[in-house]
Amino acid sequence: MRARLSGLLACAAAGSLVLGLSACSGSEPAADGGKITISVSDMPPTTQEKSRQQFLDRVAKFEEANPDIKIEPSEAQWDAKTFAARLAGGQLETVFIVPLTEPQGMIKRRQIADITDELKALPHAADFDERALSPATDSAGRHYGLPTSEFALSLVYNRELFTKAGLDPDNPPKTWDDVRVAAKAIFEKTGIPGYAQPTTTNGGGWLLTAMTYTRGGRMEKEQDGKWVPAFNDAPTLQTLQWLKEMRWTDNAMGAQMVRASADVLKDFSAGKVGMHIATPSTYGDHITKYNGNPEMFGVTALPSGGTNATLIGGKMAVVSPKASHAERAAAVKWIDYYYLQPKYDVAIAESRAQTQAADKLPVGIPAVPFYGPAVDGPVTEAVNKHANVPVKNFAPFLTGSQQQEFVPEPTVAAQDVYAALDTVMQAVLTRQNADPAAELAKAEDRVKPLLERAQ
Amino acid sequence: MTVLQPGSSSSAATTSEVAAAPPRSAGKARRRTARPGRQGRRTGTGLATLVFLLPTLLAFGYFAWWPIGRSVILSLQQTNLVDPPEWVGLENFTYLFSDPLLWTTLRNTVWFVVLAIVFGFPVPILLAVFVSELRRLGGVFRVLVYLPVVIPPVVAVLMWKWFYDPDFGLFNQALGVVGLGPYPWLQSASTAMPSLVLESTWAHAGGTVLIYLAALGSVPTELYEAAEIDGASILRRLWHVTLPQLRGVILIMFLLQIIGTVQVFTEPFVLTDGGPEDSTVTVLLLIYRYAFINGDYGSAAALSVLLAALLALLSAGYLRLTRRWSTT
Repeated sequence: MRARLSGLLACAAAGSLVLGLSACSGSEPAADGGKITISVSDMPPTTQEKSRQQFLDRVAKFEEANPDIKIEPSEAQWDAKTFAARLAGGQLETVFIVPLTEPQGMIKRRQIADITDELKALPHAADFDERALSPATDSAGRHYGLPTSEFALSLVYNRELFTKAGLDPDNPPKTWDDVRVAAKAIFEKTGIPGYAQPTTTNGGGWLLTAMTYTRGGRMEKEQDGKWVPAFNDAPTLQTLQWLKEMRWTDNAMGAQMVRASADVLKDFSAGKVGMHIATPSTYGDHITKYNGNPEMFGVTALPSGGTNATLIGGKMAVVSPKASHAERAAAVKWIDYYYLQPKYDVAIAESRAQTQAADKLPVGIPAVPFYGPAVDGPVTEAVNKHANVPVKNFAPFLTGSQQQEFVPEPTVAAQDVYAALDTVMQAVLTRQNADPAAELAKAEDRVKPLLERAQ
Repeated sequence: MTVLQPGSSSSAATTSEVAAAPPRSAGKARRRTARPGRQGRRTGTGLATLVFLLPTLLAFGYFAWWPIGRSVILSLQQTNLVDPPEWVGLENFTYLFSDPLLWTTLRNTVWFVVLAIVFGFPVPILLAVFVSELRRLGGVFRVLVYLPVVIPPVVAVLMWKWFYDPDFGLFNQALGVVGLGPYPWLQSASTAMPSLVLESTWAHAGGTVLIYLAALGSVPTELYEAAEIDGASILRRLWHVTLPQLRGVILIMFLLQIIGTVQVFTEPFVLTDGGPEDSTVTVLLLIYRYAFINGDYGSAAALSVLLAALLALLSAGYLRLTRRWSTT
């Protein structure tokens, strides 16, 4: 009897502990009194008081217009380090926002929901610009995400350093040769690195991809129904050779080569970099995070190496793969209401721009349009009424980017390709006797089995 | 003449007496004390003990042993954390061995361990001896030596990132004053790893110094007095008295340092992201990339299991080899 009592006590202790732990593991969004409850990420933080209030007001209005849907907002933002644990633990929001580099890998791993049917039922679905949807569209044409903000990669430059170096800030470089001349002039006149290139966290490979596109190259090609590396070719090699000459012949890039895009932007805002490749949206961090001078920020289209092309960066809204059919429909309705309406509804777009300007957030940064000109034109015009960025500094970008083709990211295992190319860039920029062709061949050998495994 | 400062003789004697207690007697004592336990179990005390122990066992089981078991299972599966996992046998291990980066990573990790042992291992011992030698300001130096441990690791690493900046960094600026440099530090495949070891030694030496200081406090003063009467110099006293007396602690710290340095992550993750040219990609950084960049949790688990097995074998071998010299 005593043994049985002890056993019961032990079971009770174990049970209470396990139940306690289970309580921590979160739960799926569920129906609440007949309502569908969905959680949504990226609510503005308390430091952006007006935007946060507007977000909450929009939540209230959405719930009013859709009495069968309840929204649970969260400040959570995308973090690669916690994504897997939150997904496995059921803590991931029904709607979450990811960088454009993520959806293709997530589609392959089936970690985001197919929302093609819901997307096709949206207002203006027929007016979507396919380029804006392409980062979350698979090879069969199924859609897994909707854009929230997209920007074309461009050349960001310090207008003050241009002036000091005797260059015309209103006539920035149009080709890579122009960039080299300008970088050399900036370094010679000011002693500040004229051009900076991120080479870590896969950012080096990502930018090398964009630069290769401007010379007509590709990173992968289809061969006998399979994707194989294509970067061991003239366009990538010319780009690496160009970098090598800037680094070792002109000595125009300084000595700091092992760094990420964020490090470069920080140095740029501090006036320690002449030019770098980034999206125009980095103006936001330049002002709000690094306290940079608005007037010094210049931006132009990604220079050409014979082809007018670029990559796009930004964010997309995706839906949890664990969402039920009803939750998925509610999620897409929310994405449309909060992220897409300001892109096709003039009044909402203007109101949102007004609030952001009141919060001292940048308004008027040129973005990739989600819809065709008939829808996008009036919206952009309404937003620009409240522009608080130095609009004339963005003019060279607007002119130059009109002719550019937006080439999508590599189809298969893009992150593996970028990682291998990070190493190539580091070799060329940190070792004077590095042979770009040999480094590319090594990277190709490394990437081949990875692409095979991914298909 | 400088005298090594081992602490008060009475406390040292007490500690040494306890430490010197023959293992056999201790065993007998344990056996003797075990009898009431058996008696207790007969009267139900054992079950009560088990019940009180159970929450701890369950907590350890859930948060430590279960994840270890899950890792082994995960290493044999492919999962997207949404659908049921698929059993793939040893495919993840096969993939690991076909990844050329694995061998680079193993070489880098061994290189980090070697450098950390050669340069990082003697530093805390020497610092501990130095601090214990001080008649005045010993407390201040203890604080100074331990201070880096108090700084959050990421903050410390970011601070060193600024020190190492080749254009505007503190080190090159300071060395430039005396006509040295500039040095590439993290910007060259040959100097990046030693630079990481330098930061790591600075950041972690403090905790080890405290352990050695505690051990030094238990060295009987009579040994130093006898050595001094025999005319032994400070170096000979260090070699013939201090180091043999610290033998047990040194052997354990050596093993812990190997285990700790094999698992280096923060420094390469924050300072170099494995670059330049993959020269600082360590095993843990590769595991991180598999799991969080590529979403390949199976391969990440497989490499974790391999690392754990390797460390377990290394530890067992080391303990067996050093059993003869150990004082514990």
